[in-house]
Amino acid sequence: MKEQWRLLQTGFNTAFSNMAVDRAILVVNSEGKVPPTVRFYGWIPSAISIGYFQSLADEVDIRACERLGVDYVRRITGGGAVFHEKELTYSIVIPESHPEIPKNIMKSYGRICGAVQKGLHHLGIESEYVPINDIVTGGRKISGNAQTRKLETVLQHGTVLMDVDVDKMFSLLKVPNEKIKDKLITDVKQRVTSVRHLLGKDVRFEEVAGAMKIGFEEEFHVELIEGKLSKEELALAKKFEKECFSAKDWNHRR
Amino acid sequence: MRSQSIYKVPQGKLLKISVEYDEKNNVIMNIRITGDFFAYPEEAIELMETKLRNVLMEREQLLEKIRSIITEYHIQFIGVNAEGLTQGILMCKP
Repeated sequence: MKEQWRLLQTGFNTAFSNMAVDRAILVVNSEGKVPPTVRFYGWIPSAISIGYFQSLADEVDIRACERLGVDYVRRITGGGAVFHEKELTYSIVIPESHPEIPKNIMKSYGRICGAVQKGLHHLGIESEYVPINDIVTGGRKISGNAQTRKLETVLQHGTVLMDVDVDKMFSLLKVPNEKIKDKLITDVKQRVTSVRHLLGKDVRFEEVAGAMKIGFEEEFHVELIEGKLSKEELALAKKFEKECFSAKDWNHRR
Repeated sequence: MRSQSIYKVPQGKLLKISVEYDEKNNVIMNIRITGDFFAYPEEAIELMETKLRNVLMEREQLLEKIRSIITEYHIQFIGVNAEGLTQGILMCKP
């Protein structure tokens, strides 16, 4: 019989809640109280997440975010700034010791990205993993990914772009050199793509989630059983949301 | 003196470093290492910033210090390395 992992479909939530839930799952999984977990979620309102090591003020135009009602949050994972709007975000939480997870961090990125690639395949999109943390199709990025390891547990989260508004994204992100902003926007437009662009039609979130579920099941030879956050995870997520992810101390710390 | 650099690590990520340094003695007083790289454990970056205080702003000294911190605290960097960090820091000098 196939190993059973938990699938969480937590719907659309704020940036603060989304990041708090991923961290809460990591903590509770590290205590052996919940199985390896794959989660699919979205962002309402739209939000920018920045990598753990990034400077908020350097990366994000906070005034523009406030004007447009876009939230911003610092992740516990490294990597770059991401504008989360029309996308599916996944997360996977699993003990480092699990036989399906390579000990080598780069190899484990490749493995988890493999699940996303298989999911894309089920939508009719062929893609390749480009180290360090991108998945591209036809040379254009469709997914960005970031992993942390804490408490002997792996948390990787990443995006599957369903549609992309590069102009809006750049109205919210700061660029190192304003003079070349227009060129940068043109370049990025040529370097990113989306499910909608590739398939030439709108695809529902549920359809992308269905394909990703199969992708993770195939890659890891498991069965994903739909479940819920435990009471402990919910309580911990509330605490992290309040004390960390929505707190100025955390978001402005670098 | 306070100074900043932006350095794209070859085959790696974008490193943004800001340094406050004592020009007379050529040593780092304060440093902030930011960017879209990865480090395991993440908290090691704060440790690195603390340990780099009072280090001479010269390639050899920086490289040696950074390498020794990486080894001592079992830090794993992805998208940046000791050479990249050293280069980024040195680029803060006029």
